[in-house]
Amino acid sequence: MARIGVFICHCGTNIAGTVDIAEVMAAAEKMPQVVFVDDNKYTCSEPGQASIRDAIIANRLNRVVIGSCSPRMHEMTFRRTVAAAGLNPYLLEIANLREHCSWVHSGDTVAATAKAIELVRMAVAKVSRAEALFPKEIGLTKRALVVGGGVAGIQAALDIADAGYEVVLVEREPSIGGHMAQLDKTFPTLDCSACILTPKMVDVAQHPKITLLTYAEVQKVNGFVGNFEVEILHKAKKVDHSKCTGCGTCWQKCPEKLPSEFDHGLGQRTAIYIPFAQAVPPKPVIDTEHCRYMKYLEFMEQGKEGKKPPQCLICEKLCPTGAIDWEQQDQVSTEQFGAIVVATGYQAFDAAVYGEYGAGRYPDVISGLQLERLMNASGPTSGEVIRPSDGSHPQTVVFVSCVGSRDDQKGRSYCSKVCCMYMAKHAIMLKEHDPEIQSYIFYIDIRAGGKDYEEFAQRAQEEYGALYLRGRVSKIYPQNGKLIVCGEDSLIGRPVEIAADLVVLATGMIPSAGAAEMARRLNISCDSNNFFIEAHPKLRPVETLTDGVFLAGSCIGPRDIPECVAQGSAAAAKVAALFSHDTLTSDPMTATIDAMRCIGCLLCVEACPFNAIDSLVTSDGRTVAGVIESVCEGCGLCVSTCRPGAANLRGFTQQQLLAEVMVL
Amino acid sequence: MQEGLDLMPQIRDKARELLTSGAVDCVIGYERASDGLTARPLFAYEPNDVDKLIFDQTCAHNLARFLVNKRDSTVAIVAKPCDSRAINLLLAEKQIQRERVYVIGVVCPGIVEATWGQIGDKLQARCQLCREHTPLVYDFLVGEPPAEEPPAEPYHDVAEMEAKSAAEKHSFWAEQFARCIRCYACRQACPGCYCTECFAEQLDPLWVGIRIAPMENEVWHIIRAFHLAGRCIACNECERVCPVNIPLSLLNRKLEKDVLELFGFRSGLSAEAVPPLATFKKEERLGMSE
Repeated sequence: MARIGVFICHCGTNIAGTVDIAEVMAAAEKMPQVVFVDDNKYTCSEPGQASIRDAIIANRLNRVVIGSCSPRMHEMTFRRTVAAAGLNPYLLEIANLREHCSWVHSGDTVAATAKAIELVRMAVAKVSRAEALFPKEIGLTKRALVVGGGVAGIQAALDIADAGYEVVLVEREPSIGGHMAQLDKTFPTLDCSACILTPKMVDVAQHPKITLLTYAEVQKVNGFVGNFEVEILHKAKKVDHSKCTGCGTCWQKCPEKLPSEFDHGLGQRTAIYIPFAQAVPPKPVIDTEHCRYMKYLEFMEQGKEGKKPPQCLICEKLCPTGAIDWEQQDQVSTEQFGAIVVATGYQAFDAAVYGEYGAGRYPDVISGLQLERLMNASGPTSGEVIRPSDGSHPQTVVFVSCVGSRDDQKGRSYCSKVCCMYMAKHAIMLKEHDPEIQSYIFYIDIRAGGKDYEEFAQRAQEEYGALYLRGRVSKIYPQNGKLIVCGEDSLIGRPVEIAADLVVLATGMIPSAGAAEMARRLNISCDSNNFFIEAHPKLRPVETLTDGVFLAGSCIGPRDIPECVAQGSAAAAKVAALFSHDTLTSDPMTATIDAMRCIGCLLCVEACPFNAIDSLVTSDGRTVAGVIESVCEGCGLCVSTCRPGAANLRGFTQQQLLAEVMVL
Repeated sequence: MQEGLDLMPQIRDKARELLTSGAVDCVIGYERASDGLTARPLFAYEPNDVDKLIFDQTCAHNLARFLVNKRDSTVAIVAKPCDSRAINLLLAEKQIQRERVYVIGVVCPGIVEATWGQIGDKLQARCQLCREHTPLVYDFLVGEPPAEEPPAEPYHDVAEMEAKSAAEKHSFWAEQFARCIRCYACRQACPGCYCTECFAEQLDPLWVGIRIAPMENEVWHIIRAFHLAGRCIACNECERVCPVNIPLSLLNRKLEKDVLELFGFRSGLSAEAVPPLATFKKEERLGMSE
């Protein structure tokens, strides 16, 4: 026989201001199996909780209903309260009298009170069928996987490794560094990007707890928090890095020249290459698609007609250590991890979508990242800012903001956050490069929220003479060796035309290629722009709804460097906290399958969004579904899919839910 | 009835071959019922039984219903197109193994209305709306597939029902369900109703009371229909076997129509297709789009 105690919270006037508490209590006293009813001004306060503990003991209560705020708010608190009185914490039910009642029915005491009584009645019916539940202990692998070797991933890897745990950092490019490695200076301090990043890159390579896997990709993720099993694809480098010394002879002598991705097409690289001088690891890979010998092999294999490509092999002939390994193939390894940090970053919006700006058609219309490469001392022009078309020095430079940001028509309604600041930085830097350069910046708003950001943007205007024109650019066309930029200065309400030598499009950030597939592999969610979604935008900014998978950096949304670094550290702190335990406690509110009722249609396997259901064979040879409890998140989809009612959800059993409905 | 429909010899020859060679343990087909006019299921275990096999426009039963009871043996089955969709459903839901079922597919001319001792000449309603005259899965095909399938607009009666007010619908169904004697013939005839412990017979939780009362009858029929949503293969056996003539096809086909419109899905067209109600795709968010 259940002995149920009902505790009604006033929540100050939040509930009591609308709901007649005395009436609810009087009704609760008459409900079946209720032996004790009490109220509290603030049940969550220490005296409020103490009164519940005392009442449980004094009245030998074995079930508790608390009528208060949403269980999302205080369920955990109240579970601890009843547990402190010796009751199983799952023999508690919360009737949401605030969010579901008083807040939405303020001004109608009669109806709100009637509804509050019904909510309590349901909770009493449900708790009367509740069963004691016990969490299970599961083991964990104290080894973290960090996906993405930009600054966020680098920071996360370093911090986890410094906490004493093993880390594997996977980067799909031949070097870590990400976009930060491409930048010249960083706002608002103007310190050299490479100077502050490369030491961290080297730290990653040298850290005894970090295994760096470049030119590798995460292919498949199985398992659950503490026990992930990850398939990693190691793309064939065709270079044995254990033999290579990074002497550089091969990439200096390779005859195949290609546009450099790292320099955004402004410079060249060879087929065997490191993406940039400070690359980590400083050892090359062979671009098999463009390598002459690989083309030769392909030609011979397919038995094509026509001219045979040269057999090249220059790198192999010149390599002093015999590190070139043509036999190397793509390989897949399976590794165990306890936690995963996703820091897959962003890519620049492709400005070619704006046909009217001529990106891709006019060589002197470049992107912000291309300008970074032009200004960078280790860039293709050794830091000389020139017009790509004729190599001359530009005098008039026009910036166009919000290219691929804040533009619903191009499907990108969000602000990319960093562009205002990097345009100001570019204006300042250009002036420092050549005092004759005049910058014009077409903007919508200047967004400079951040420490010292506003002052920086002001300096660009006041000290460096950048002219800010509020308005959008409608068209850019070439005329007599110049680019005519047609726009509007909306502050004076007049169209303006500027004859520019160089136009810089402040392209926004979009998620890096393959983000949506990565989300699917990790079982995390994407927003409509394919940025990953945090567990809570404010309170759980680096967690996901999949336990053990954390996020950092601009894969969540546009971020600047300080934020990426902060999030890398934040994610590392979360991983370290997880790894500080020797076992994990699993939530006992999971699904169960009654093998006797199960008919083995396995539609629940399809329905389960967490891959938490597997088929198994019973002792009498029937194939039935079985729940992997440590993976189950307790969503209940299997329960609603199951026709014979074999699936059930602990804490929300069909018996409990039906009992709730039947008392209405 | 169409004359000159002589599929019998081919079916018998194939059945005899399968039983004689031991390829199957049993052939499930049709034989003449004891009224001498209509058809009933035949389970042929011996080559000698084979001569009882018939096929004509009286062969109404969906024999796929029996496959789940024959899980442990290898069987051959005479399957009309709608029965073949049931076979696909059972394969998709992992109730039978393809290699243990030999399907003798029959190109179907449509089944006529018939009652005990009486054969009409009108095609059954489901056959008038039929979109597939050739089985979708078979190992051996009997008959000549039609050059093209007739265009179908099978939901005019559902649309009529949809046009009624909620009160009208309710009173219509209250009247229909009031006749129900809860014999569960609809369930027993249905190839999709194969649960070993039907919700209607569960005591904990007690989803539906066993007494024959309007409320309980309604719960039975609504849950039965929902359990078949996106799964019903439209053989309409439930309605045919109903002793009190409840128009169950209206319920089933309303759900079939909804699933088709929402998900572009018809059950049983292939053995690989997963019922849309067991899966979730982002683009399916109804009413949540911009």
